[in-house]
Amino acid sequence: MIVADSVHVEFRRGLLRGKVRALNGLTLEVRDGDFFALVGQNGAGKSTAMYCFLGLMKPTSGKVEVMGRLPELGSPFNKGVAYLPEEPHYHLYLTVEEATRYYASLYGMRVSDKTIHDALERLGMAQFKSLPLSKCSKGMKQKVGIAQCLIHETRLLFLDEPTRGLDPLIVREFRETLREIHRRGATIVMNSHVLSEIEMLANRVAVVDGGKVVAQDDLRNFLTTNHELYSVTFEANGSTPEYLRSVERMGNLITGSIPKERFYEFMEYAKNSRLNVHECSLKKTSLEDTFFQIVKGSGPIA
Amino acid sequence: MSALVRANILADFAFYRRSRLLLAFAILCVLLTGLSALPAIYSDSGVESFRTLQGIFSELNGMLLFLAGAVGLFVISSHLRSRCLKMVFTKPCTPSMWLGSAFLSAVLVSLFLNIVILGSAVILSLIWHVPVRAALIFLSTENFIASVGIIAYLMLLATLLHPALAVTFILIFNAEMFYEFHVWTQGAIRAGNSSLYLHILEKIFHFFYLLLPMVNAYGKKMENVNVALRVAHGEWKYLLYSFGYVLTLSAFCYFLALFALQRKRHI
Repeated sequence: MIVADSVHVEFRRGLLRGKVRALNGLTLEVRDGDFFALVGQNGAGKSTAMYCFLGLMKPTSGKVEVMGRLPELGSPFNKGVAYLPEEPHYHLYLTVEEATRYYASLYGMRVSDKTIHDALERLGMAQFKSLPLSKCSKGMKQKVGIAQCLIHETRLLFLDEPTRGLDPLIVREFRETLREIHRRGATIVMNSHVLSEIEMLANRVAVVDGGKVVAQDDLRNFLTTNHELYSVTFEANGSTPEYLRSVERMGNLITGSIPKERFYEFMEYAKNSRLNVHECSLKKTSLEDTFFQIVKGSGPIA
Repeated sequence: MSALVRANILADFAFYRRSRLLLAFAILCVLLTGLSALPAIYSDSGVESFRTLQGIFSELNGMLLFLAGAVGLFVISSHLRSRCLKMVFTKPCTPSMWLGSAFLSAVLVSLFLNIVILGSAVILSLIWHVPVRAALIFLSTENFIASVGIIAYLMLLATLLHPALAVTFILIFNAEMFYEFHVWTQGAIRAGNSSLYLHILEKIFHFFYLLLPMVNAYGKKMENVNVALRVAHGEWKYLLYSFGYVLTLSAFCYFLALFALQRKRHI
């Protein structure tokens, strides 16, 4: 679906026209049907990569192909493409209904009032249809953006930090809508800093650092289970066993890890000390753990 | 394609309707015209009514040129500065299509306003018992053609410069001003001043006069129509010449603006 091969992007910015190297040999592949997440620090090059996929920026060197073609501004092959920008840079002078109709019409076909109404109704926006976008919250604007995916059959959806600044309720609704669009067969490419969200949604992840992809794999390979360590959480009750490692205290609760060979010993200790154990499970590596190891360390972990 | 053009034009119309700057400008036009019309209301003289009608018509046409320029400038600069074009160009709508639609929408607004002004002039003529003259149609058409040129030129400047700089540029670098400078330097040379600097200046002013777009390319030939509100038979052809000039100018501005738009980073 998307192939980027050694993509370099350089441009000049500011009054002194200082040179900025935004991408430095980015290589990645997004397969048809993927829910693909680009993760990285601020300035890593995630948004620039997305701009290249959308044709909003041209690579200085390297190759980008989207659906087998070079991305271009307003290309007729954008028929199945939708994009939700990081900041809702929408046409603020339009009302919710006008903007939904306008963005839907840009796909080159007339859209009936009923289709518009149904899409807005599904997103809970029908009652705000006469509200100008300039007076809408970010969440409402994002819903206007997502309405186009419900009106047209979106094959490829780009999301740039879609949930930044949204309240938890809207984030949850938004997540459900994305899952539905993905279930319909759309390929989704998302930039996000919220790693827990990516864990919930994505099936493939690429870690971008310094303008290039430093790790790219299926999400499940980033979320490994360590069979040699148990993670335990219990209420403090005097001293803690000496084999408990990575101890973290949070109020009355103690969280730490214990080696597999000491597990039964810990259970005995818990029984004798009448500990209130809240959790005891094989230690899992979160995407956050892996991300930090990759970005702060020298490379991808096994 | 027609659906795309229609969608863009409708969105631009919504922009014009809701632009406070344009609204303020339109209100100013109406107020000034209203004030100019006051003397005629209290006058019984046919000559006075004719002069007032001529004054109002000329004033409104002049203001329409400013308004058309503002429409052309704002429709481009506002979209570029709000960075909303990424929502357009990531869909199957090319920059050429969007720019063409924006130009068309501004031209349609100018056409509508020209018709409104012409209609108002005709109504005032009937109310004040002044004969309705063909010159009104001639001048409205001339004004519309001039407005198209101004729209195209300001659209180009808006893609290249900040709107404030674009306005400053058009105020300083306009063909009429360089024509005046050219005539002045020529006069000084003919009067016996043989300074080399003056000769160089004369050439520079002439170069800029030829280079910069003109609001009324055949304005001098059509001056009499404006003064007497009468059109001679041979004067209609100048409308056609003006139209040809504006069409060429608009095409040049469009392609240059498109080139600039395609090279911009819409992020």
